[in-house]
Amino acid sequence: MNAGDVLAILQGAVVTITLSLTGILIGLPIGLGLAVLRWADVPVVARIVAIYVSILRATPLVTLLLLLFFALPNVGIAIGPISAAILALVMNTAAFNCEVWRASLMNFPKDQYEAAQSVGMSAPLRFRRIVLPQIARDSLPGLVNEMSLLIKVTPVLAVVGVVDITRAAVRIGAETYDPLPPFLVAVALYAPIVFVLVSLQRWIERRQIKAEALA
Amino acid sequence: MIHDFGIVWSERGLLLSGLGNTTILSVLSAAAALLLGFVLTPALMAKQRWLSRAVRGFVDGMRCVPFLLFAYIVYYGLPSLGVRLDNWTSGLVALTIYNAAYMAEILRGAWSAQPREPIEAGIAFGFSSVALFRRIVLPPLLLAAGPVIGNQMIQIVKDSAFLTIIALPELTHAASSIQSRHYVPFAAFITAVLLYWGLCLVIEAGVSSIDRLAAARR
Amino acid sequence: MAKRVLDVAGVSKRFGALEVLSDISFQVEKGETVCVLGPSGSGKSTLLRCINWLERPDAGQIYLNGTEIGVNGGGIVMSDRELSRIRTRIGMVFQHFALWPHLTVLQNLMEAPVQVQKRPKAEVRDEALALLAKVGLSDKRDVFPAKLSGGQKQRVGIARALAMRPDLLLFDEPTSALDPELVGEVLVVMRELAREGMTMVVVTHEMGFARDAATRILFLDRGRVVEMASPEGFFSNPATERARQFIQRYAGRAANGGR
Repeated sequence: MNAGDVLAILQGAVVTITLSLTGILIGLPIGLGLAVLRWADVPVVARIVAIYVSILRATPLVTLLLLLFFALPNVGIAIGPISAAILALVMNTAAFNCEVWRASLMNFPKDQYEAAQSVGMSAPLRFRRIVLPQIARDSLPGLVNEMSLLIKVTPVLAVVGVVDITRAAVRIGAETYDPLPPFLVAVALYAPIVFVLVSLQRWIERRQIKAEALA
Repeated sequence: MIHDFGIVWSERGLLLSGLGNTTILSVLSAAAALLLGFVLTPALMAKQRWLSRAVRGFVDGMRCVPFLLFAYIVYYGLPSLGVRLDNWTSGLVALTIYNAAYMAEILRGAWSAQPREPIEAGIAFGFSSVALFRRIVLPPLLLAAGPVIGNQMIQIVKDSAFLTIIALPELTHAASSIQSRHYVPFAAFITAVLLYWGLCLVIEAGVSSIDRLAAARR
Repeated sequence: MAKRVLDVAGVSKRFGALEVLSDISFQVEKGETVCVLGPSGSGKSTLLRCINWLERPDAGQIYLNGTEIGVNGGGIVMSDRELSRIRTRIGMVFQHFALWPHLTVLQNLMEAPVQVQKRPKAEVRDEALALLAKVGLSDKRDVFPAKLSGGQKQRVGIARALAMRPDLLLFDEPTSALDPELVGEVLVVMRELAREGMTMVVVTHEMGFARDAATRILFLDRGRVVEMASPEGFFSNPATERARQFIQRYAGRAANGGR
């Protein structure tokens, strides 16, 4: 394994990080949307969302990815590895985010909402100005936790041919007949990213507990 | 489309053996990880700093590593060090060691939240060693940790799907085989997804019955 | 002559630099109720925990019915198994009840007699039901501890200790964790036990109970036995200034409706 190989894995890391960020950024608002649909108890739709979340929480990402990658072209929707990867990540993380958002929504004090109503705020305004800032704060640790989980499943994307950290490592391992070093480099790239997110989550939780203790 | 599902039905033997293997893998490694967790947890809380730090390092380290990479290292990487395991052994070892780290942390959390006095009462009433652990310490601990252990079991089921990359004939691997043999991707994978869902619903039912037991005692 | 149940001889215990118990000696005869009084931090609870070796004393001997606890004939510290066997002879009632949360009230009573003493289940069950009737909780036998009030929990705690048929009962501040209105129901049970001739050592702040149920008062201060007297003698004519101050303070609190 030489410097060029390390560089190839680093290039893979750029792909991994880009895909993860894309998945997170799209998955966050969709998760919120799904949570609101369930919270507002929209008939039929809320039920469908509940079943969607239940199924997606049980589905391994690799299975979902293979389903999207092979089945969508089958029904006439052309999809490449990158799009399939992003779609799978978003579908997966949106379901978990939905649960995090929903838990905060359920905890949201009803009297505050009614107070906003009593001063004549419209429903969208109430949500944007009163509810959202507070549930965002409340959901933050859970959402960061979900981000670290999402990053930990991204090696799966290599299965459909995305040239990420893992695929680069596998290729170098096959070429050099010594797979251990490239895998260790891959771990060395993943571990700090996940570690930062896990530490961030703990830091936010501690800060919020302290803030609550002062209040 | 109906025809596609007909093809999947005709391959039900393969799919069911995949489901069976996923279940066996998950149950065996969950049980082993839990047992290993019970060994690691006291070490995590040990007074000897070197021991607790070493175990803490292992637990935190594992939680920062993607499972798929870990499985790759066990299957493809270890032979470089002269350790060659077949795919079943690799899969079981990887799932067990990886999840033992999570189980240890779950048990530590539940353990340190347990009140000390009932355990002390156990000692005062003449319980010692194994009987004390089995009759007094363990039952409330499992009731408290049950739901989180259940969540981790769902995680194990999902992690086991990654083992398709080392050609372990579990559920996702079975669905892949059917799809490549007959080119029925949607029917094959959606069936697999529904079977995973069923497996998780069974685990969740188990969790909620533990939860009912715990709620009656809270 | 009455049979000597407990003999504490020169027991000392320190936690780091802090000497919690220093050269404590006293005896308890069969059927006695000895109340251990003293300001908080005087070592009362530690003394109780040393008696059944939940804390290991640094020095001194403890004998139960003439058998030394904790150290066997050769002067060697007992194994867990030997200690366990002796502990089954000593019942203990805890400040925070310490009931086993995963077992029902009846199961709490039966657990140690069946599992540790290996007595026949049917016999233990009959006895446990009788004990529950005695503490007035027959209707709660299939309830989990979490569903009981503090006073009920402590009555179960006492019944659980009695189910072991102990030679000696230790009470570690049995009413300190209770709301004032629940203290009475526990004291009623304890008074009855004292009257029936159960041998008891009671660490408490209940001066009323000590005055009329105790056969002797052991007054501790800063880990030392300051006075050992009959309740009449101790309360009406304490020999030391420390005891006088202590009684005054608690009498004042009792007058204010406190405990």
